[in-house]
Amino acid sequence: MVNDAGQLYTMEGIAAGLIMILTAYIVVSTTSIYTTGDTHIPDMQLEQLGSDVLAMMDTPDSNGGENQLVEFVHNNSSIEFNETFLRYCNAKTDGTRDNLHMSASVTYRENSEIKERPLVAPDETWTGRESAVRVTRWVQLDKNDSRRDDPYGPRARAVLVEVLLWRA
Amino acid sequence: MARLNEEGQWIVLMGLLVAVALFFLALIVNQSALVGQTTSEAVLEFPKNDIRDLRSAIFDYAGAGRNDKVQEDIIAISLERKNALVSFTVGDSQSVSGHDLRPVEIHYNNGVTAYNETAFYRTDE
Repeated sequence: MVNDAGQLYTMEGIAAGLIMILTAYIVVSTTSIYTTGDTHIPDMQLEQLGSDVLAMMDTPDSNGGENQLVEFVHNNSSIEFNETFLRYCNAKTDGTRDNLHMSASVTYRENSEIKERPLVAPDETWTGRESAVRVTRWVQLDKNDSRRDDPYGPRARAVLVEVLLWRA
Repeated sequence: MARLNEEGQWIVLMGLLVAVALFFLALIVNQSALVGQTTSEAVLEFPKNDIRDLRSAIFDYAGAGRNDKVQEDIIAISLERKNALVSFTVGDSQSVSGHDLRPVEIHYNNGVTAYNETAFYRTDE
């Protein structure tokens, strides 16, 4: 003899099972806290900002003029490079200054060897644990440019300016 | 419980439905913390600025008289510091529709993103 007297018990069992599974899921998932830092959003913004600043510095002020980035590499002018870069990337729309810091180096090739030369040393905010991003820009040095006063050797060459950028 | 008094069945069922609905809303709130992660990771991984910078470096090279050493610099430093395999050629100037153009071929591959382009660099102006 079959009847449906147990139907409601079955439904109750299924509902109770669902509730237990959901509870376990919620409890387990609350043990990990997800912050915006984990999502790489600030990294992405910082990297784009750094690239844009280097692009600005790599653009001549006038047609046929010298651009700032090439000039800084030509003269190996560390302080001016640092000041200009930070002036551009710390500018905020409300007039206050952001708190970004940078260091920079230049990578160049000597025969089959790739060498790196520091251009701007990191300041006192650098601890080694910053979530820093790296942005780069190619610079070409002309052989016959009389304004060249750089330590990379006399021939025409392409060097890579690498900037490490972090928020202190 | 069953068969004793079934007057409240609908109320119990509706209560369960509300609980399930609340659970899904909570799930949406929970997921909102992740918004932007995939996007920003994709942006970080995609070497848009690197490729644009490489293009302009190659055009500089084409404009500055195709110095072999500069080409070697770009290829070697790209591999060492940017983990990117780069190859490019700039051909001899040819006349196309009344302009002197150099064919420029660019190949870029960093293991994730591959980029190939054939462009023309204008030498008369």
